[in-house]
Amino acid sequence: MKHSFIDKYSELNSLMHKLDPRVKLIMVFLGIVAMVSETPGNIYPFVFYGAVILTLILLSRIPPGFVLKRLFFVSPFIIMAALFYPASLMLAGEYKFVNPQAEAINIGLSIFLKAGMSIILLIWLISTEKFHALLHGLRKLRMPRLIGIISALMYRYVFILADESLKTTRARDSRSPGKLKMNRIKVYSNQMAMIFLRSWERSKTIYDSMLSRGFTGDFKDMKELELKRNDILISVLIVLVFLSIRVFIEPGA
Amino acid sequence: MHIADGIIDTNICMAANVASVAIIYLTGKNTPMEEIPRMGITGAALFVASLIHIPFAGTSIHPGLIGIAGIILGKRAFPVIFTVLLFQSLIFQHGGLLSVGINSLNMGAGAYVAWIIWKQQRIPEYVRAMAGGFAGIIIPVLLMTFEFQLSGYGKGIIFLFSVYLIVATIEGGMAFFVVRFFRNIKSDILS
Repeated sequence: MKHSFIDKYSELNSLMHKLDPRVKLIMVFLGIVAMVSETPGNIYPFVFYGAVILTLILLSRIPPGFVLKRLFFVSPFIIMAALFYPASLMLAGEYKFVNPQAEAINIGLSIFLKAGMSIILLIWLISTEKFHALLHGLRKLRMPRLIGIISALMYRYVFILADESLKTTRARDSRSPGKLKMNRIKVYSNQMAMIFLRSWERSKTIYDSMLSRGFTGDFKDMKELELKRNDILISVLIVLVFLSIRVFIEPGA
Repeated sequence: MHIADGIIDTNICMAANVASVAIIYLTGKNTPMEEIPRMGITGAALFVASLIHIPFAGTSIHPGLIGIAGIILGKRAFPVIFTVLLFQSLIFQHGGLLSVGINSLNMGAGAYVAWIIWKQQRIPEYVRAMAGGFAGIIIPVLLMTFEFQLSGYGKGIIFLFSVYLIVATIEGGMAFFVVRFFRNIKSDILS
């Protein structure tokens, strides 16, 4: 079964898609650090961050509607977090707002912008690079070796288990048509236990087949990554723009 | 329960990333080679199982299965949880790139408490399972409450997080059924 939920649009051909995955990971990480380290309640710089991120999206030819749709799915979590800050202070009566509405909105909005724009950068990252190439990039950036191996294995088997999940869901639905009233927790728990069980049984076979193909603890990666002049120029430029906004744009300027 | 980037103080997130890498080295060193495929595929199972949504009270909840991860994987749970959270942040943007460490510490602590509870042989098995499932949610929530307070959120956050008591109770029930299923079908998973 084909699963396109992971890295849709990563096969487009644009300047951004051609960048080295390591460079994109560093760019996104530093971009996020610049944004989230802004003073709480400081909204003005996000006009500039937004402009940079929009430029990146347009340059990569990812449909902006797709980005907004993905953001929409995650937005309940960040709206909740944005409301938490002022709500929590008010509930406990710990903070006397001089102008309660304006201050609360400001603080909540700045949290929403930090989280929302960081999420958009992550959407951009996964839409401009194949997921396995990102994992390859992370391994080259020296992420812990154990995590590198676990992630390579996870990526290989997540699709198989997603199919198992669909099969067990179909089996569950066919045995319990309509809305489950009683034993709902039991039925869903058994389904999850079944997915675990099948994966457990399979891991032994997988290990034996890996050994038979000469597995020694390292995955032979795809082609070696090669840093080009374009990669360096573009990434340095984008990182400098992010850092300049962080350093030079004054709060409420 | 995933903390997104920008919600918690940046310094706390950075420190948590450093601590997470240290814990990965400590808990992952000397991992036998034959155990690694099991960790990878259990991670994939955790990832996939967490995508199943259970209809509840007009909305839906997705299981965390953190307690179950602790029961099955023991001290190897942390590197697996870290990898699952990295996948979730990159693929679904649940959590964030900068906050992978803090989320891993929270959920990893939940898994370890579940593992410690599971090892108490004097307590009946199904009670341990339920308590482990409950702890797998409630420990991360308690840590999150503490971290939110460190980041300037008021004490009111305690009231807001109390809603997670319901989720933790459901997870406790799920852990009970999952363990009972394993015990009936293939009990060596639990050994």
